[in-house]
Amino acid sequence: MIKRVEINYRGIFQKNLGKKIGSDIVIIASRMGRIGFSNGRYSDSPERNGIPCKYFAFVSHDLSEEELEAECGAKLDIDQADISVVLDDTMVKGVEPWGWHGVRAINEKVQPGGTLLLSTKKTADELLQFIGRKPYQWNIATYEGDPSFGGLWVFRDDLTHERTLGAVAGIDPDIIGIEAVEDYLNYKNPKEPFRAEAARKAYDEVRATKRTVNPGEGIEWTHEIPVLPKWFEFMEGAAVPAVKRHFEMGPKGQSRNETFKRGTTKTQRPVVRFDICTKCTLCWLECPDECFDPTTDGLYDIAFEYCTGCGKCAQICPVQECIVMVDELQFADNSSPWEAYTQNRENYVEWAEKAKSKGRYIHPFVTGTGLESVQGEVVPLGGKRAAQTGKEG
Amino acid sequence: MATETIVYDKIKGVHKIPLEEFYTSGHRTCQGCESATTMRGFIKAAGPRTVVTGSTGCMYVANTSYMTTPWIVPWMHTQLGAGGSSAVGMAAGLRALKRKGKIKDEPINAIAFCGDLGGGDMGIGAISSALQTDYDLLIIMYDNESAANTDIQATGLSTYGAQTTFTPPGSKHRIMQRRWKKNVAAMLAVGHPTCKYIATACATFPHMDYMNKVRKAIAVGGPTFLHTYDPCPKGWDFHPRYSHEIGEMGVRSGLYPLYEIIEGKVVYTYDCREKGRSPVKDFLVAQGRFAHLIQEDFDYIQKRVDEMWEEWAIPGVAPIKGFLQA
Repeated sequence: MIKRVEINYRGIFQKNLGKKIGSDIVIIASRMGRIGFSNGRYSDSPERNGIPCKYFAFVSHDLSEEELEAECGAKLDIDQADISVVLDDTMVKGVEPWGWHGVRAINEKVQPGGTLLLSTKKTADELLQFIGRKPYQWNIATYEGDPSFGGLWVFRDDLTHERTLGAVAGIDPDIIGIEAVEDYLNYKNPKEPFRAEAARKAYDEVRATKRTVNPGEGIEWTHEIPVLPKWFEFMEGAAVPAVKRHFEMGPKGQSRNETFKRGTTKTQRPVVRFDICTKCTLCWLECPDECFDPTTDGLYDIAFEYCTGCGKCAQICPVQECIVMVDELQFADNSSPWEAYTQNRENYVEWAEKAKSKGRYIHPFVTGTGLESVQGEVVPLGGKRAAQTGKEG
Repeated sequence: MATETIVYDKIKGVHKIPLEEFYTSGHRTCQGCESATTMRGFIKAAGPRTVVTGSTGCMYVANTSYMTTPWIVPWMHTQLGAGGSSAVGMAAGLRALKRKGKIKDEPINAIAFCGDLGGGDMGIGAISSALQTDYDLLIIMYDNESAANTDIQATGLSTYGAQTTFTPPGSKHRIMQRRWKKNVAAMLAVGHPTCKYIATACATFPHMDYMNKVRKAIAVGGPTFLHTYDPCPKGWDFHPRYSHEIGEMGVRSGLYPLYEIIEGKVVYTYDCREKGRSPVKDFLVAQGRFAHLIQEDFDYIQKRVDEMWEEWAIPGVAPIKGFLQA
């Protein structure tokens, strides 16, 4: 018997977190006398900021270490998972680590009776509006948490790691047991009992929130998986065709790479108040993903399927409140904001203000250092410089 | 001013920047990738009649792995240290094809890009020999101060004190990156007196400065070289939304001198001696890779930067002090 856990995380931001969870599942399982094995998905390398990636942890009660490794080690991806952990809830909109993967459903690997386990502040029902349906019964469970974005060098120690271990124990004691999790955390940090407490809390939480999802529940998953060419179908010299040249003013006027849209990288998206825009061009000029489309009235439309949600446009915009980054799960589709604005300006401005009022994002300079409260307002640590230049939106 | 000696099609304002993209959406770079802005900027400035060759590195893997290519112009991959040689080959090939009448005799730009490891460390020999030829080519070194594709290894261009995979700070030795940043542009200028144009730039600050430098380099003809400073959200560890700010802070602090060397004459495009310098510490504390530094280290780096601007014979360019007075 092999129990398989996959940990879906955001590249770099949660790399250390995902790796820590994977390796700790193995350590805890081995403290329980089981055999464990953990690895990352090879094809995620080189990892980029925000790209959806995976770590795996495998636990067996009866196989030897060599057998388990032979069974699980030499594979690109797993076929089925007992638990799919999702560390950032915006990944429910689909995950596309590379063009040739295609946009996959987040619950793709969840087997019949398996569980999709999400760290989120939303409810399972809210999230099911984005998740693809399955022909069989599966489970969904949530435990409360922020996405916990750290950096490559600065780990964000906000107990998400401990909570996730507790949550995994809550879903399937055959992988790791909650007592063993508490034992291990107390052993590692003898002076920090709150770590084990956080794990226990998440353990209780997922047992309360876990529910069955019936066949047909969820949305229809329309993204197709690309069919890769055979070796003899490539052009001579391993050449690939370039993107065709095309440009005109207006939405989607610029030709773009159709085979990799990478929009699943974003956790937040810019909401633009076109009515206060000064047409300074900076958002368009500085966008590292060429998402802005010039239009005939001097405003810039956004091709959201290509936007990675870096927030550079919001930061560079010289007008306060003109571009604001908002939680990606507030939006159902990638339709053109400029078209919505030109059709009905008042409705659009009202909609934009409403979207901005909830799920707005601010960030510290160094990812992982967190936010602080100054005079009742939440501001990023190290955000003083931005405040001085008056650019913080 | 020496800049006026180059006749070129200057971009006079942000509204005059060409709208069409030749490096378009759909690449696998990081969120807030400044090197992607560098790629996009040079091809926007150079226009569609351009062939591009790129050596292995972030901008090769992110932009050309199967199904993830954003290039509209012809593009070719070359090996890690071969940025210079492939640029020469490409320019020579174009010249031969034109001479034989196989293609129309019109200006076609040959641009090669390489990373700081591929260009500044490993490929510097090839670039050096490319700069001694008489072919029309431009080599752009995008410098994100690490081998960023393979998860941030130190190079000769990493800033002093930075944490990388090769230089993790420990309890005994806080600073593992003990090399001072290599001054590649100036080094190439000093060693290749026939090279007509060598410059440093930052893709987004000051606005248009970088694109105009690309246009100048192409207009002046012969082999030319451009070194760009690209803040890397992944390896420098800052939130992607600040990638413009970090570059701007680096330039304002004087750590990244922006200059052009046009036929031997140095022109500062952001002159820290006139505009003043902001404290280097502001730039350093905004990045996670310097999270382990203490005041002593900030003071040391500040001292080196002060020295660079106040004592060097040619500030920011040549580290020679009072060479004839001695």
